[in-house]
Amino acid sequence: MRVQVTRWFPVPALVGALAMAWAPTCAAQDDPEDPAVATLARYFTGSDHVAVRSLMGDYTFTSHKDLSLAIHWNNERVTIPAIDAPIGSSEAIDAITTASRPISGNAFRDFAKVRNEFQGALSRRHVGLDYYVSTESDYLGQQIGARYDRDLSNQQFNLALGTSYGWDAIAPVADDDTQTAADTKTTLHWNAIATRVLTPSTLVRVGLEYNLVNGLQHNPYRNVYAGGTIVPEHHPDHRERRDLFVKLNQYLENRSSIKLSYRFYDDDWGIVSHEIGSKLSQYVTHGVFAQYQYRYYTQSDADFYRSVYTTIDGVGGYLTGDYRMAALSSHLFGVALNLDFGVLTADTAWLRRLRARMSYDRYFNSNNYSANILESGVDFRF
Amino acid sequence: MSTTMNVRSHERGLRHLLVLIGALVIALSVSGCATVPAYRRERVADRIMSFGADARVDLRLMKSFDAREGSTGGTGGAGGGCACK
Repeated sequence: MRVQVTRWFPVPALVGALAMAWAPTCAAQDDPEDPAVATLARYFTGSDHVAVRSLMGDYTFTSHKDLSLAIHWNNERVTIPAIDAPIGSSEAIDAITTASRPISGNAFRDFAKVRNEFQGALSRRHVGLDYYVSTESDYLGQQIGARYDRDLSNQQFNLALGTSYGWDAIAPVADDDTQTAADTKTTLHWNAIATRVLTPSTLVRVGLEYNLVNGLQHNPYRNVYAGGTIVPEHHPDHRERRDLFVKLNQYLENRSSIKLSYRFYDDDWGIVSHEIGSKLSQYVTHGVFAQYQYRYYTQSDADFYRSVYTTIDGVGGYLTGDYRMAALSSHLFGVALNLDFGVLTADTAWLRRLRARMSYDRYFNSNNYSANILESGVDFRF
Repeated sequence: MSTTMNVRSHERGLRHLLVLIGALVIALSVSGCATVPAYRRERVADRIMSFGADARVDLRLMKSFDAREGSTGGTGGAGGGCACK
């Protein structure tokens, strides 16, 4: 028997899974890390004046049979500013030629696109399944995933294994100076994560992740100067990406904690990166804690990256105008305030179920780029 | 040239992968240490020690970094159990 699998195949499967999850009576959600309803507003703006506004929602239900359903959605609006140079000037021509956005007709107008994401995850005890879809005018991304975890050594050691398969359909919209045909990209992901209680005040987590990516992996709208002319950007269509991370959480005596992390990454395009992170959390009073974060990141360049290409063949046939392929380093500083109204106000019933979080992050890198990220969210538990 | 470059990258990648796996095996072997009984895990169960709460925040940040840096990963979305979720 042949079964035709369409790109929308997971949707009916998910609907069936949702029906299964709803069959039992929904019970209260007790896990403090899995709020029943959560909303979050996020605003990202960079020094290149690209702005991203995100509105997110999360809903979690748990049945009496330990079946848990989590739904996540995100509505995002990305605004890329108009070319900021006099019409007809060489600066304007350069900007249009190397733009990472589609330009058809008028380049001197803002370009805005909307992305909608949806994720449904079903889990029961140690097993979880999820489906993700993301749509925008020129991109449809979908992914199915599964995970399994197991407690060992009197529940002080947990081993989790996860995998996912993503398939994206890319359909570039009209662009005056590129003619990239519709294409696809697939991503196969594996991870193994071990978490352990080391001491009554120390947790450690170690993880290994592997991604195998095939298909279109460059910007279909971007051109590169090479050999005195312009040619479309071209990256390899195969990429193996691997990373290892270690995280250590240490509780300190003055009702605070320090979280340290390190991540090593490499891929077969030649990029090797290191990331160190630290986060200090400190209770200000009962139910209120502040967080201070710092992250440092550094990477080498891809084998085919050159600041100047002398021939139109680039390096081995590959050319890039993407600064992510260059060596770079970055810093991130962040502060956040978390409020648990359940501890702050025990009198008002509905307020007891409320949590709020506000954060601000400042990012800057060696490419003279900086960004501000603002988040504000509320969790409500039934 | 492209083939040579890919072979060199691949060999280098495999070497790195072996190092990564070795490190993970060493980390896993740490599980042979002394047991911390459940009644002594109050601190590691505190909200400020949670990996789970950070994972959501880190995932959003990683998405922003994905568009500006050449690497990805490290959010550790999976995992959990015991008092370390």
